[in-house]
Amino acid sequence: MLQAWPKRIGRWLAILLLGGCFGFPLYWTLTMAFKPEDEWNPPGKVFWWPGHWTVSNFTNILGIQGETSIFATGRSKSALTPIEHSLIAAGLGTLLALAVGVFAAYGIARFRAGGRMLPFQILQLRMFPPIAIIIPLLFMWVYLGLWDTLQGLIILYAAVTFPFVVWLMRSFFQEVPREVSEAAIVDGCTQWGAFFKAVLPQAKGGLAATALFVFILNWSDFLIALVMTQDHAKTAPVYLQSLQSGASGQEYGNQAALAMILIMPPAIFGLAIQRYLVRGLTFGAIKR
Amino acid sequence: MEAHTTELPVRQAPKRRLPDLGGRSEGAVSRLLIAPGQLLMLFIVAFPAAVAIYIGFTEWTPTSGDNVWGAYHYWHWFDGYWEALRSGGFWHSVWLTLLITVVCVGVEFLLGFLLALLFLKEFRGRGLLTLFFLLPMMVVPAVSGFIFFMLFQVDGPVNQGLTAILPGGVIHVHWLDDPSLAKWSVMTVDIWQWTPLMFLILLSGLVALPEDQMNQARILGASFWHQFRYLILPMMKPIILIALIIRAIETFKLFDSAFLLTGGGPGDATQTISVYLYRQVIINARWGYASAVAIIILIFVSAAGAFAVRPIEQAQEETLEGLVGGEEQVAAQRVEEAIAAEARI
Repeated sequence: MLQAWPKRIGRWLAILLLGGCFGFPLYWTLTMAFKPEDEWNPPGKVFWWPGHWTVSNFTNILGIQGETSIFATGRSKSALTPIEHSLIAAGLGTLLALAVGVFAAYGIARFRAGGRMLPFQILQLRMFPPIAIIIPLLFMWVYLGLWDTLQGLIILYAAVTFPFVVWLMRSFFQEVPREVSEAAIVDGCTQWGAFFKAVLPQAKGGLAATALFVFILNWSDFLIALVMTQDHAKTAPVYLQSLQSGASGQEYGNQAALAMILIMPPAIFGLAIQRYLVRGLTFGAIKR
Repeated sequence: MEAHTTELPVRQAPKRRLPDLGGRSEGAVSRLLIAPGQLLMLFIVAFPAAVAIYIGFTEWTPTSGDNVWGAYHYWHWFDGYWEALRSGGFWHSVWLTLLITVVCVGVEFLLGFLLALLFLKEFRGRGLLTLFFLLPMMVVPAVSGFIFFMLFQVDGPVNQGLTAILPGGVIHVHWLDDPSLAKWSVMTVDIWQWTPLMFLILLSGLVALPEDQMNQARILGASFWHQFRYLILPMMKPIILIALIIRAIETFKLFDSAFLLTGGGPGDATQTISVYLYRQVIINARWGYASAVAIIILIFVSAAGAFAVRPIEQAQEETLEGLVGGEEQVAAQRVEEAIAAEARI
């Protein structure tokens, strides 16, 4: 017992120190979102804690009219449209990736479709720097009229996250015993019926986790939207960045408010599927 | 459990044509299942790759008057490739990216392992604290870029905090404007964001280590270092390898934090490969040259990828105390189940 004390204190000190380092950036942003403008970045002074709490940053950035709203007068565009774009592109991109990827995953898991190498070819897709793939796609998108449209963004998001769907769903389908589909077929189902009525319900949890995981990936994208959109389909992360380079000086508080809004969906979904995060980010190689 | 009797013949003769009423044969079904995926890959990989190879042999830019299809007017064979291989800017970004990858993945691994060891034993608030340490991983990368942009300002909280803690005068470190410091600031963002993933992967590996052996070693008087060196490390090897590879792949693609923090600057101080390509395309509008560079990168990554894929492939097949498992293990399980089921009847 006596020996255990220094050890315990040491562990707690280490956790506190690391926790401080990892927690501070988020703490700073969270409090920044509630600071009034004169506390954002006053020269030679620092507000570790908001002196006067305010929600005007949120009302500003969302374009809600208020007495201090600079966006209502100075800027016609609030963050609402970009957020809407992000929701549509990430949501529909996820659905499309699922629609294509779930079938491929089942084919690979159940029938070894495409041979042993197909899954690894799909994995290699993830290794290429996205910008290297985006350059030729940029020609194509401009040529096809898909550049700066939500449709174009949805297709790209689906293509980029499709490997994750295949690898994740493959690992989930492998957990469903082969007997499930065989029994369904004996009971008179077609292969498709067996898939939809017997196998898919068994992998329901995995499907939900995959959907949320892929949504997080799409929602987090910055590079694709930066290159592939301009005005009509700008997503929220790109909008956040455009505020940074704005001529009107720094808008830390407003940006922090938007940042907190952007963090919310991934944080909630991520904690909800915490069990599957490792599996997702390691392409199903580690199943815990 | 009446299904068992009807199920058995199917298992004994899996090759026999299944009595599918109106369904299609397995071969046709499996081809149909992966067809949309293959189509998407063709659309997103094969066609663009062809375009990139074509454009890479030319000096074409969108401002040159011709459209993409007329790019052959600017044909110059491998000149773009030679230019890239001889250009200092290209190699600078390659070495910078490799440096960032090695440093970031190394630090993330060490910090992640330390955290995982700290969280191995049960203590009060462990679950909640684990969630707390996972948070940075969920932050949208554009947001984490913005956060550190705020923190690293010359009169920002990092300098102000250091001024308060350290003795001496006011500290004015130019985290983002100093060419030799900027890359370390960019690395900080990556380390902050992705150490949690290392932590999570390694913790899940540590938790699954066989407790009996660990206790045995402890009772036999093995020091912590020896337990670590001869027990934990060898057993964790597959997982560590996967974690390192996955992070290395992702870090090699680093763009967001460099672009958001410094825009690749000052000068080319934080110009990673991705930022280099971005600048060539968007700022210099040298599409032909950028395509050539992209092809070089793709070849390089494919070659490296052939090595990187193997451990992941192995992990899918290896059985490590049920921790890492793939098809083979599931198949083996299935065989066991099958034998057990048959023995019952």
